[in-house]
Amino acid sequence: MILYLLTVVLLILIAPILLSYIKATKMVLFFKRPISLMQGYRNFTKLLKKETIISEETSAITRYAPFLVLSPLLVTVFFLPPIVGGAYYVSFVDAFTITGLISLSTFFLMILGLDSASAFGGMGSSRESFISALVEPAMVLTIFSVSLMADNLGVGQAGVNLVAHFPKEHMASYLFAGISFFILLIAENGRIPVDNTETHLELTMVHEAMILDLTGVYLAIIETASSIKFVIFASLFASLFMPFGLEFIAPIAFVIFVLKLFIIATAVAIFEVNTAKLRIFKIPNLLGLAIVFAFLSLITFYVLGA
Amino acid sequence: MFIFDTLSLVFVALILLGSLPNLIYSTGYLPHIERKGYYQLHYFAFIASMLGVVVSANALVFLFFWEIMSLSSWKLILTEVEGKSTIKAARFYFLMTHFGFVFLMLFFLIVSDGNLELDFGSMQLIASKFAYPSLLFFFLILGLLSKAGAVPLHVWLPYAHPAAPSPASALMSGVMLKVALYGLLRFLFDVLYPWPLEWGTTLLIIGSLTSLVGILYAMGEHDIKALLANSSIENIGIILIAFAMGMIFDTLKLPYLSTFSFVAALFHIFNHMGFKSLLFMGAGSVLHQTHTKNIEKFGGLISSMPVTAFVFLFAAMSITALPPTNGFLSEWMIFQSMLGSSHITDDISLKLSIPFAIFALAMTSGLAIATFVKAFGITFLGLHRSTNAKHATEVNFLMKTGMVLSALYIASLMLFAPFYLRFFDDVFVSLGRSSIYAKLFPDGILQMHSLSVHGGIVSPLILFGSLVLVTGLLLLAYRVFDVKERFYHTWACGYRTAPNTQYTSTGFSGIMRRFFSWLYKPQEHIVKETLAGHETKFSDASYTVHIKPLFEVSLYESAKRLTYIISYWVYRLGHFEQTRYPAMIFTLLLFVLFSYRIFADDFSWQTIIIESIMMIMSVKILIIGEKK
Repeated sequence: MILYLLTVVLLILIAPILLSYIKATKMVLFFKRPISLMQGYRNFTKLLKKETIISEETSAITRYAPFLVLSPLLVTVFFLPPIVGGAYYVSFVDAFTITGLISLSTFFLMILGLDSASAFGGMGSSRESFISALVEPAMVLTIFSVSLMADNLGVGQAGVNLVAHFPKEHMASYLFAGISFFILLIAENGRIPVDNTETHLELTMVHEAMILDLTGVYLAIIETASSIKFVIFASLFASLFMPFGLEFIAPIAFVIFVLKLFIIATAVAIFEVNTAKLRIFKIPNLLGLAIVFAFLSLITFYVLGA
Repeated sequence: MFIFDTLSLVFVALILLGSLPNLIYSTGYLPHIERKGYYQLHYFAFIASMLGVVVSANALVFLFFWEIMSLSSWKLILTEVEGKSTIKAARFYFLMTHFGFVFLMLFFLIVSDGNLELDFGSMQLIASKFAYPSLLFFFLILGLLSKAGAVPLHVWLPYAHPAAPSPASALMSGVMLKVALYGLLRFLFDVLYPWPLEWGTTLLIIGSLTSLVGILYAMGEHDIKALLANSSIENIGIILIAFAMGMIFDTLKLPYLSTFSFVAALFHIFNHMGFKSLLFMGAGSVLHQTHTKNIEKFGGLISSMPVTAFVFLFAAMSITALPPTNGFLSEWMIFQSMLGSSHITDDISLKLSIPFAIFALAMTSGLAIATFVKAFGITFLGLHRSTNAKHATEVNFLMKTGMVLSALYIASLMLFAPFYLRFFDDVFVSLGRSSIYAKLFPDGILQMHSLSVHGGIVSPLILFGSLVLVTGLLLLAYRVFDVKERFYHTWACGYRTAPNTQYTSTGFSGIMRRFFSWLYKPQEHIVKETLAGHETKFSDASYTVHIKPLFEVSLYESAKRLTYIISYWVYRLGHFEQTRYPAMIFTLLLFVLFSYRIFADDFSWQTIIIESIMMIMSVKILIIGEKK
C-alpha cells in the first residue's frame, strides 16, 4: 500500500518536470539555452500568487469546470498499472473506464471553452471535440487489443501480466498497437503535429484557445491537468509497451520507471522537433493512421492470432 | 387477451416511469398549447395504447393497440401546425408507420396461420414449421425497426419527433421507440426461436450503422429537437448492438454472456428512456421560453434558466456515456460483452463484424461528446444570441418538477444500478435464460463484474464517490486559499466581446461537416453585401448551410422517382394508347396462365422455353409495336 501511494505521489510530482524536460530538450535541439527542469513548478507557484480574473460573460460553469477537468485525471492516476513488483494496484479498472474518465475531463474543458463567449474558446472547443472524437475509437481499440494480448481487460492487471509473460507470439498486433498508442499520446496531449502549446497565434491553437480567459489559480489547475494527462499517457505507454523492470527492488524499479518516462519524453521531443504543425484538416490523416493501426492490431489478433 | 409476465411488467414499469414526470411537465406545458382538449385526448390515448401494446397477449390485440399508438402519435404531431413542414412530417410518419404495419401484419398472418387470436406461445409451433424462417425474421425487423428508427428506415424520425409538442416528443423518443424494441424481444423469444447466427450478425451490422449514422446527423443538426431525435436513432443503434450480441452468444451456446448482453440492452433501454425524455423536456422548456427551435438563437440561458441548464447538463453527461453516469454503465456492459467474444469464435464473419461494432460504438461515443458539448454549450453558455433568448426566464413550477423528477430517475439508475439490474435479470430468467445476477455482483453490490473471460470490474459508486471527493478537496483548497478575484470582460484581441463574435453552432460543427462532406453533402449559401465592388470588403454577410440526408436522397427520393416513372407509363398506356390497353390485358392473362402452368401444374424446360417465346412475341407485337 505504501508503495502504491508513493507511486501516485511520484507520478503527480514528476508530471510538471516531464513537460519542462520536453521543452528543454527541444531548446537544446534548436541550439538555445534550455530552461530549467523546475520551470513547471515555478510557473505553478507564480500562478498561485496571482489574482484570479473572472470574465463577466461567464456563468457558474467557469467556477466549477476547472476542478472537474483536474479531478477525473487525478482519479485516473490511482488506477494506473504498478511500477514496482508486489506493490498494491487497482487491478480491475478497464480501458473503457480510463478513456471515460479522460473524456470526462475533456468534456468539461470543452464546456469551459464555450463559457467565456469568446470566439477563441468556441474555436478551441470545436477543434478539440473533433480531435477527441477521432481519438476515442483508436484509444478504445488499442487498449483493448493490448488487454487481449495480456489476457486481462483490467489495465493494471494487464500491465502486470505483460511483464510476467511478454507476448512474443502476438508481436505483430503488439507493434501495431504500440504505434497507434504513440500517435494517441501525441494527439491527446496537444503535442506538435496536432497542436502547439507554445504558440502565440490564436488561429493555430487548440488547447490554449479554450483556456485563453483563465488566469491565476484556474490556469494553474488546468496546466496541472494537462501535465498529469501527459504523465498518465506516458505511464500507460511505459507499462504496456515497455513491460520490464518490475522485478527489481523498489528504489531501482522506481529509477527504471522514471528513466522510461524520460525516454518517452525524449522521443516526443525529437518527434516534435522534426515535424511541422499540421493544418486542422490534415489531422484526420494522422489520427486515421492511429485508427487503422489499432484496427489492424485487433483484426490481426482476432483473425490471425499473431 | 392480456398477459402480465415479467417482460410485460418491466415494460409497463418503463412506460409508467417515463410518463409520470412527463405528465407533470405536460400539465405545466399546457398553457402553451392552443388546442388543449385535442392534445390531452391524444396524449392520454397515446400512453394508454403503449401500455396496451406491452400487455397484449395475442396478435389481434397487439396490432389494435399498435395501430392506436401510431395514430394517436400521428395526431399529436399535428397538434401545432406551423406551415407545411409539420403536415409533411406527419404525412411521412403516417406512411412509414403503416409501411411497418404491413410487414407486422404479414408476419402475424404467417405465424398465426390466419387465427389472429392465437396466443404468442402457440405461434412458435407454426413458425417452426414454416419453411423460410429468415423471411419471418425480416418481416419482423422491417415491421418493428421502421418504428424504432434503424437504418435505413430512420429517415422519418428527425422530422416527426420534433414536430410534436415537446412533452409528446419526449414520450415518442423516450418511450415509444422502446415499445418497438419490446416487440422485438417478445417475438424473438416467444415465436422465432432458435436464431441462426446470420440474424444476430445482421442486427449487429444494422445496429453499428444506425449508431454511426444517427450521431453523425445529430452533429450536423442545428434544430435542437431534430438533434435530439437523431441522437435517439444513435441510441437505438447501441441497443441493437447489445441485442445482437445477445443473439450471437445464444447461438454460440454461451448462456451467461448472452443474458449479460440482453441485460445490457435492457439497461440501455431504461437509461435512454430517462435521459432522452429529460433532454426533450429541457429542449421543450427552452423552446417554450424562446419560441424558436434554432440553436443559433439561444445562448446564455444558464443564467436565466439555471434548473433547466443543470438538468440538461446532467442528462447530456449521461447520454455521452461519461463515467460514473448510468449511460456509462450500460455502454460499459455492452463493450464488455463484445470483448467476451475474443476467445471463442471460429466464424470469420463474426471476427470481422465484432471489431467493426467495437469501432462503431467507440466512434459513436466520441462523436456524442462533440454533439452534446455543442447542444449544451451553444444553448446555455456564452451571451444571448437573440432578443428571444434575452427575455427567457425560468419555466413554471410544474415543468421544473417534471424535469427534476426525471433527473432523479436518472440518478437512481446510476446509484441503484444493482436494484434495477435484478429486475432485468428476472426478465430473462422468466424467458428461460440463465440468471446472471449472482455473477454480476459476486462480492457485494459495490462492484459490478463483467461476465467475459478476465473481464473488468466497474464500480459506479466508488467512481462517483472518488470523483466527488477529489473535486470537493480541490474546491475546499480553493476556498481555504482565499484567492483574490476580479471581474472583467472576456479578452477578444482588443475588440469588444459581443453576441455575434461568439462561435455559432454551424461554426462548431464546421470541421466535422468538412471532414464528413462525402456523407453530409452540405449545400452552402453565402450572401455578401460588398462595398464598392470589393470582393473582400463587405458590410454584411450571411452564411447558411443545409445538410441533405444521404439516405433520404438516395433511397427514398429515388424510389419516389421510380414510382413516378412507372405511373407515368401506366397512365400513358391507359389514357393515350387505348389500342394497347386490351393487348396488355391479354398479355397479362397469358402470363398468369403460363405461370400457373409452370409453378403449380407441371414443370418442364421445353414448355418454359416455348411459353417464354410466346410471351416475348406477344409483348413485342402487341404492346411495343413498331418503332416509329
